[in-house]
Amino acid sequence: MAHAHAHSGDHGHHIIPLKLLLSVFGGLVFLTVFTVLTAEFVDLGPFNIVLAIIIAIIKAGLVVTFFMGLKWDNRVNALIFAVGCIFVIVFLSFTIFDTAFRGDIGNVGKQTIEEEQRALEGTEEAAPAAAH
Amino acid sequence: MATTSTVASSVGSGHAEPAHPAHLQHHFVTSEQQFDAAKMGMWLFLVTEILLFSGMFVAYTVYRVWHPEVFQAASKLLDWRLGGFNTLVLLASSLTVAMAIHFAQKDNRKMLITNLVITVLLAGVFMVVKYFEYTSKFEHGIFPGAHYASHELEMAYAPQFFSIYFIMTGIHGVHVLVGMFLMSWLVIRSMRGHFSSAWYTPVELTGLYWHIVDIIWIFLFPLMYLI
Repeated sequence: MAHAHAHSGDHGHHIIPLKLLLSVFGGLVFLTVFTVLTAEFVDLGPFNIVLAIIIAIIKAGLVVTFFMGLKWDNRVNALIFAVGCIFVIVFLSFTIFDTAFRGDIGNVGKQTIEEEQRALEGTEEAAPAAAH
Repeated sequence: MATTSTVASSVGSGHAEPAHPAHLQHHFVTSEQQFDAAKMGMWLFLVTEILLFSGMFVAYTVYRVWHPEVFQAASKLLDWRLGGFNTLVLLASSLTVAMAIHFAQKDNRKMLITNLVITVLLAGVFMVVKYFEYTSKFEHGIFPGAHYASHELEMAYAPQFFSIYFIMTGIHGVHVLVGMFLMSWLVIRSMRGHFSSAWYTPVELTGLYWHIVDIIWIFLFPLMYLI
């Protein structure tokens, strides 16, 4: 925040040093090699997928933070990006809640909820009558 | 908000500035405000790009959860060496576009043009590799959807994997072509001397677009080729 104020004061944009750009690129290449090696030659079972996705997220994070300059940018752009990411997470997880668990609920009746309710009310009325 | 404070602070000092820069449009108070507005607009557009691809990533996830063994078998038909090479090519192009912006900010026109040209060339390499990947798949009867006729993999849901593969990498490829077009346009404008440290907004915004295209590939590569 303090940086943002200094930024708007001198009207200069942050120039990312070449050295930093090159080391970020080095990191990205390293992670690419690492993800290929672990996915193709190391059997971690289901953890292979998790590891590959974690590495991809780290790589994307490096690109967004340094190459795209969110680190030095106006904070509102980071907010826009974060909201976009939240939308994606909501989209993905809520769809999975549906598709991954279809058929798991075996006790689904053929009647609609309204019909079930009516049938239930009917039995409640009928039940005391039967007790008498 | 930072933008509002910029407006407020520059209203006072704005009149003291000697001349109106040529790039500054009349509805902006300062170059800084104009730059910030353009960049924020670009980020909003990039979010819509992320959401466009997220629909396809969700489709991928749904089918993968339903048929994990098919996806594992089908991804083995893709050559991770070519995919990995293309990943390195795109990462390098992200570096060069970031360097192009660096040199634009330092008024180094020669290095700005050089880096933009290298970026276009790397994008071209990516598309050439992609062309060979596609044609080799077509030769083996691997087409999207109902046209799938491969004898290498005759599993029930293999066509779904390749539909998703062709659609995702295809739309990504279109984005690469658009990037190449934009970058070539930037090269021409740079050669005409349109950009300087005072104004290089199109370079900055195209750079942001190019990085998003790179990020999409960062996710496509492991999901399609590796796991």
